Amino acid sequence: MDQAVEQTAERPRKLAGLEAAMEVDELTGWAKFYDDWRRVILGAMAVTLFFVFWEALLTWGIPLNKFIISKPSLIFIGLFRDIESGLIWRDLLVSGKPLFFGFGAAILVGVPVGVVMGWRVRVGYSLDPLLTALYASPLVAIAPLVIIFFGVGISGKAILIFVLCVFPFVFNSYSGVRSVDRLLVDTVRAFGGGELALYRIVLVPTVLPFVIAGARYAVGRGLIGVLVGEFFAASEGVGYRIAWYGDMYVLDRMFGYILMLMVIAVIFTEGIRWAERTAFPWRVGM
Amino acid sequence: MAVQYIEANNVSLTFTPPNRMPVTALQGFDVAVGEGEFVSIVGPSGCGKSTFLNVLLGLIAPNSGEMAINGNPVSGPGRDRAMVFQEFGLLPWRTVQDNIGLAPELRGVGKRQRRDLCQTFIDMVGLSGFEAHYPHELSGGMKQRVGIARALVSDPDVLLMDEPFAALDAQTRDIMQAELLRIWSEAKKTVLFVTHQIEEAVYLSDRVIVMTKRPGRTKTIIDIPLDRPRDYEMRVTPEFNELKLSIWNELKDEIDTQGGPHLG
Repeated sequence: MDQAVEQTAERPRKLAGLEAAMEVDELTGWAKFYDDWRRVILGAMAVTLFFVFWEALLTWGIPLNKFIISKPSLIFIGLFRDIESGLIWRDLLVSGKPLFFGFGAAILVGVPVGVVMGWRVRVGYSLDPLLTALYASPLVAIAPLVIIFFGVGISGKAILIFVLCVFPFVFNSYSGVRSVDRLLVDTVRAFGGGELALYRIVLVPTVLPFVIAGARYAVGRGLIGVLVGEFFAASEGVGYRIAWYGDMYVLDRMFGYILMLMVIAVIFTEGIRWAERTAFPWRVGM
Repeated sequence: MAVQYIEANNVSLTFTPPNRMPVTALQGFDVAVGEGEFVSIVGPSGCGKSTFLNVLLGLIAPNSGEMAINGNPVSGPGRDRAMVFQEFGLLPWRTVQDNIGLAPELRGVGKRQRRDLCQTFIDMVGLSGFEAHYPHELSGGMKQRVGIARALVSDPDVLLMDEPFAALDAQTRDIMQAELLRIWSEAKKTVLFVTHQIEEAVYLSDRVIVMTKRPGRTKTIIDIPLDRPRDYEMRVTPEFNELKLSIWNELKDEIDTQGGPHLG
């Protein structure tokens, strides 16, 4: 999906290459810098403009009511206070642990289940409807139940995160296995490859990109899991802090935490996307 | 008749596609190919010619019949045979070099040795400089050069080619045919070549086997007494066209004018 969008975005530049071929001059200085970093520059500009507009609106536009809204300058100051006091690091650690364990367990369980579903037709047909129903339903609804069963500590949150994250891994590995090219299987067999060689040479390289793409969805769901778990019952952690600041009407601090979450989410998804491009260079042409 | 290099006697194969009636793909099919010979099989779509190559390759077990290569009976894939596939069958996540090195890798040949081995064949098929390219960076003709090199690298006795140039455009196909003849004269392999293009069969082969429509049997075998090395000009000689016509005359009765299902 994303790849397709990126490629269409690049296409006009390829056409522009025709004009470039006629002009012998190479781009220099700022023009070259802009040409190389166009995507980053334009993206960063939009983000900056968003904050500037927000700040300006609440400074000169409408009067600031601190009980219902905040503005970027106050938010950044609040964020730095929380960083200085170390509160933010403590909360991140508290929330990060269950995320790490829940996400890790989702990979360790989800990928093998998906692979077996794809490899063994009967297992796939049996599990597909049930798991699809679970994947499609808003599973955060069972958060209170999970907390009751497993407590407010790390295990309750980790299990909630696991439940939310496991399905992208299951279904992406499942479709990964089903998209294995029959011809490649025949090829490896024809050149003397056995079952193990098939796994190593055909199955793993086919499924791996699907798993990484699944990880991108799972990260988003995992972050939701942390927050919801901590909204319900917790005494520390990022989700708890956001709810608490909200209850206390300290909105600049609350927005500071939300901003931090956004940055973390972007770092995760962009990091995974970067890993995809670096680890699977052949997919650029697919 | 003397003992042949490739011998297949009375090969029959019936398979049942899911939710369909059983299909008899081959019935009493015989093939005999001498050492170093280039033999083509032509036949109408769905006559089982590609299926036969998969049987001879050892991917499909026949219901009955015997097959041997250089006296060794065929049961499952073996080092004495290598296939060039119509749709190339290259691993997209492997570079040209690693694709070509597949068979030695599966045999457990070390990395250094593999590289030296591959280089010989990369040079032979004219892909020097493309060792580190991925398949998606290659044209169709180059992909099939990789397919040919990959088949040759395991030093098989027999090269099986399943419509290897059918996925290429007309000009590339002409070039690849000439290239194949050059490579064949260098590598000195016995070749069994399946095609549906009569001209291709005449241009490349020593003999052409014409198959009946399904269930496939040998209808007739036509000798191609053209001199070697062959060049492009030969294709417009009366002798060449004579041969094309004689194959067409054998083939035309077998072609289902309604266009039956293609089962390879």
